[in-house]
Amino acid sequence: MDSTDMDHSLPFDADPIQPAPAAAIGRRSESPQFTDDPMLDRLYGITMALITELAVTRTRLDTVEKLLARRQLVAGGEIEDFVPDDGEAAARSRLQAEYLDRVLRSLD
Amino acid sequence: MSYPAPWHTIGRHALLPAAQHDERARFDVVAHLNAHVAQRLAPKVREAYESRALNAWRMRHGHEPADRHQVAEAMKQDPAYRAFSLVRRNTMEIRQHAGRMLVAREAERLSGAARAANEGAATLRLDPNLDLPRYVTAVDTHLMQGGYTSERTALDVSNAANYDAGMYATIGGSGGPWNDAAGRALVAWLKQQHPQFAPRCIVDLGCGLGHNTLPLREAFPQAEIVAVDVAAPMLRYGHARARARGFDDVQFLQADATATPLADNSADLVFTTMVLHETSRQALPKIFAEAHRLLRAGGLTIHLEQPPYRGLPAFEQFMRDWDGRFNNEPFWSALHETDCAALLARSGFGSANVFESRCTAPPAGGSTRGDEQHEDFGRAPAWYAVGAWQVAKGLAANG
Repeated sequence: MDSTDMDHSLPFDADPIQPAPAAAIGRRSESPQFTDDPMLDRLYGITMALITELAVTRTRLDTVEKLLARRQLVAGGEIEDFVPDDGEAAARSRLQAEYLDRVLRSLD
Repeated sequence: MSYPAPWHTIGRHALLPAAQHDERARFDVVAHLNAHVAQRLAPKVREAYESRALNAWRMRHGHEPADRHQVAEAMKQDPAYRAFSLVRRNTMEIRQHAGRMLVAREAERLSGAARAANEGAATLRLDPNLDLPRYVTAVDTHLMQGGYTSERTALDVSNAANYDAGMYATIGGSGGPWNDAAGRALVAWLKQQHPQFAPRCIVDLGCGLGHNTLPLREAFPQAEIVAVDVAAPMLRYGHARARARGFDDVQFLQADATATPLADNSADLVFTTMVLHETSRQALPKIFAEAHRLLRAGGLTIHLEQPPYRGLPAFEQFMRDWDGRFNNEPFWSALHETDCAALLARSGFGSANVFESRCTAPPAGGSTRGDEQHEDFGRAPAWYAVGAWQVAKGLAANG
């Protein structure tokens, strides 16, 4: 391996909380591009991060449900059988519609 | 389909970052993503190669791909390979970022815990004047930002802590609760193949944070054990971690594996685990020569690694080469094309005393897949081993 191409220095005093820029994660070389369109690679990166965060959220929700069940605050099947009353249903519909408006805004 | 061990089954010790709910959950997603890549996506890549890329290559060139480079050429446009690579690379980036965020939150506590454990200990010898090899400092190995040697603050141990916590997710717990499968595999091999071998002094070159050093302490309680690495943060963390686990007499020494300050003819066992592929081509023969210098007559040097490419089908070589191409392992490909046995022979051991073998870790608690021979293109708890016995120096015949 040629050592002359190993000089893609990353300042290590970068904020550790910030994700390193994709191209800087490996100091040795730029981030690889796997598709013909760099934007598609980025879209994959965003999608993978969302997959991860959704799984984390589902796990957290599962923890909450299990804790509720352990403490007998929610009986088995109560969540599956839950039906909102009219006021709750209306509020939920509004939340759903507003959510879709937000996430699909770029298609307007 | 087997599942990776959940992160909460990792072995607990005082230096382990205290991961919160979502941090643990994120590591679990990473472990599952890696399992999915290995068990579901990798077979699709093979299928794509055999069903379309291979034929397309034959049509164009009139012959089969001759080597892994031609397989790579045949596969670089293939959607199955691209999807496999995108998911695998992103999973590594997510794993690194998850670990980095975890240890950033814990950095101060971890640094303090390490300082408290290390203060005044004669078993930790750091050398602030050591000239760190560029092949280590210049690379963010497996995408770990800052690599092994960087320090954010004085007495920083955060990358070592990230490595410790995150590796369990990366390999899905297949190394057992202490991530020490390679060390246990070496011990099992020694006890099985050479039950009379009783080393008095053991040297682990490139010990990192000493995961794989500690099983040797358990197996050889009478031996002096010296764990050597160039990276002070790894040694600080590793020494404190060993103490937290009750291993008080393993020595951690900051030195270059090509030129340690240890005396000639002072060791009976000099080993490495998964180190050679992170070593430059220039350093590799020097490490073997150093092992030869250190070993007494009757001593053994042995190195656990992924198998060399020679003899493997071109497609398998190509799949095994993924880390070399996309996971910041710049020496991976060259190492797997190197004949380490021949290199050992030339390093003073003589070809008659060199051997190749295979080491497998016995099952460990806390892992749902530690005892499986599941092929994960580089992440299964089984290793190729190459080594040599030291006969009286100067008598080794080269041939």
